[in-house]
Amino acid sequence: MRKKVKNITNSHRLENAVLLSVLLFLFNLLFPQHDSIILFICAEIILFFTLFFLYNYVHTYISSKVDSPLGIVLNAGILGALIFFITATLNAILSSKSETVAPGFFNSLFSILLNFVFIGSVIYIFSTFRELSFLRQKKDPSVYFNTLLVYFGLSFFSDAFIKIFTDASFVKTAVYVMTIILISLNSVRVSWIAFLPKKQKYYLLLTSVILSVLFGMNYAMITNTNVIRQIIYLFSPGFHTFFNLVMLYGTIYFAVIFFTALFHLPTAEAFDRRTDEVSSMMDLTKLVAQVFDFKELAETITTITARVCSADSAWLITKNGNEIELSSVNNIGFVDADNITNKIFGSGANNFDSIEIIDYRSLVQSEINNRPNFAWIAVAPLKVQGIINGYLLAARYRENIFDLDDKRAVQAFADYAAVALENAKLIGESIEKERLEKELDVARDVQRKILPSVIPVSDRLQISALFVPAFEVGGDYYDFFELDGDRLGFVIADVSGKGIGSAFIMAEVKGIFESLSKIISNPRELLINVNDNLKKSLDKKNFVTAIYGVINKETGVLNFARAGHTPVHIFSNGKTERYQPAGIGLGLDYRTGFESSIKELEIQLKNNDIVICYSDGIPEAKNNLEEDFGYDRLDSIVAANFEKGLDQISNEIMKSLTVFSKNHSQHDDITLVVFKWNKK
Amino acid sequence: MAEFNVDLRPVGSVSVIDVKGYLDAHTAPELENVFNKLLDEKRFKVVVNFDELKYISSAGLGVFMAYVETMRENKGDIKFSNMKENVYNIFDLLGFPILYEFFKDEREALQKFDTLG
Repeated sequence: MRKKVKNITNSHRLENAVLLSVLLFLFNLLFPQHDSIILFICAEIILFFTLFFLYNYVHTYISSKVDSPLGIVLNAGILGALIFFITATLNAILSSKSETVAPGFFNSLFSILLNFVFIGSVIYIFSTFRELSFLRQKKDPSVYFNTLLVYFGLSFFSDAFIKIFTDASFVKTAVYVMTIILISLNSVRVSWIAFLPKKQKYYLLLTSVILSVLFGMNYAMITNTNVIRQIIYLFSPGFHTFFNLVMLYGTIYFAVIFFTALFHLPTAEAFDRRTDEVSSMMDLTKLVAQVFDFKELAETITTITARVCSADSAWLITKNGNEIELSSVNNIGFVDADNITNKIFGSGANNFDSIEIIDYRSLVQSEINNRPNFAWIAVAPLKVQGIINGYLLAARYRENIFDLDDKRAVQAFADYAAVALENAKLIGESIEKERLEKELDVARDVQRKILPSVIPVSDRLQISALFVPAFEVGGDYYDFFELDGDRLGFVIADVSGKGIGSAFIMAEVKGIFESLSKIISNPRELLINVNDNLKKSLDKKNFVTAIYGVINKETGVLNFARAGHTPVHIFSNGKTERYQPAGIGLGLDYRTGFESSIKELEIQLKNNDIVICYSDGIPEAKNNLEEDFGYDRLDSIVAANFEKGLDQISNEIMKSLTVFSKNHSQHDDITLVVFKWNKK
Repeated sequence: MAEFNVDLRPVGSVSVIDVKGYLDAHTAPELENVFNKLLDEKRFKVVVNFDELKYISSAGLGVFMAYVETMRENKGDIKFSNMKENVYNIFDLLGFPILYEFFKDEREALQKFDTLG
């Protein structure tokens, strides 16, 4: 039930107000005079509810406009003036005409309409006070205000009460006094004044003093015996009480506003600045998150700095190592800003770890002509994680030095700039990183496609090949070529450098080896030809190391040549021999140097001999003592496992290598190709 | 990140480059900068002192290959000195000793330039 009532009062505010007003209007038209006690009480109750529902509607309407409190104060003031105007004129006109108001249809209609104007105005004014006292309150003031409402209600009905119980006039006085106390209590809720800009405070100061006096006069007029009082009193004694209480409320409230505004004036400027600062910072925070172009942000930051810190000029410089670059300027020429910056920072070695104020005149001394004649310059570092990435400078012509607040503000904006700068940098880096990662993916893909997917099988020659790519992708490559008869060609190569560049060279190397291996079977000659072919495609600083060999599966004869590559290890009869025939890396020399250096070896393999070829990823693998894995460790693993299967030997080598370099990331590709020859 | 440091000091008409730490794909550009500077200044006689170099990768080797031709065309050279055994082995494996001159001591390398004038 209670909920339902609340629901109806809240959801149909306007309808209720209109309905009651119409009801009130008709009732008063039908019964212009409330002679009998029943009629009187009915009239009072209807009026009370009309007032209540009007208030109920109007204050929600006003609450949507509280963002400009000055506007609603002004509206209330205009209504107050209207009341004053009507009361004063009517008093003047009517009192001269006749002493009493004669009953009659037009007269009563006039009286009703007049009262309706008053009701509307008073309710609007009252609602304004309500919204103002709720404005900018940290705690909920509704308890105070609702108590006040109750007392307004009690005052309203106290007149009817006296009419019935004639000797209880003290009740009215008590309630009246209590209401005034509550009005005073509610009137001190004026904290919204503090948040007004300085200009509006001046405006309010002037308005409030006028309004206070105006409401005071209204109060005096309707409490004094005159025609208007009579009209209102006849219409409803309760409303008369309500009316004069609201006028009293206005007098008190505007007086309080006047004094509050007066006391807030000295701090108004500081308050304005702080507000500006806060709102600028909020704007900046948004910008920092949205704008990734640092120059654009720098532009905004200098503009805001100059405005908020009441500086005449501001500029922002970024610093990279000892290089200083002017990012943006506000209200100063680029050249001037640059000159002053150079003066302050000298060769770039000068550093300001925290904000500092520079006496500009003592800095420039004599050569003051032809450049801005500043008095003070504030220099704030753009600092992120202890590193200074630039400076924000604010300069003043005026003699007053930057105070603590100014300094704080400049530094705050500098901090924003620092964060924005860092942001822009990080974003740039992450884009670059993403690009590199994409590149690596491509490189890995190329490498995967280039390596042979099938390893040739034969009963005389077992082969095991193993490849572990490094994160950064090296340029390892191995391949097998079935040659005429029983011969098998093989290559193992390593392109210098890493990444996509090496991957492409590797692809080219594969093409060269693949085509040449069909024409040339002599390893030395083949490598010389490869070297000639690479001349066109290799950069000066790139080279390729390689071993090319041919194994005759029937006879076990191994021919190979080496171009700067790691040696070939052959395990035979319980011990390992390393073969490193002379030969410089491919691409080191395109003249006679390569050809004259390279030698070829021929080795007759014995039964169960193991031939081990690999890339430098194996011997150069490091442990946490920065020691190399080296050749000896490799040999001892082969010696310990030579009786096992070929794949198992490869696995043992990889296992030992992984354990050895467990605290090191794999730096280079690892390739391991192992052959075992069986005599049959 | 591995540390690398490069210093340049002129000894008469020869420029000595001291390399320290780890010379790999990440640090090679620093060495390239020094060589570019030497080219700008038209100083073509270079001795690289490897006394404090701990490691060199293929990208590091590539730096010397990239500049040696220009130096030689201008009657200069790049010579190496004071190399540790493990570093020398890498150069040796690739066949650098066939194409470049290696010296135990920086002085010998400087003298070699002197005798040639």
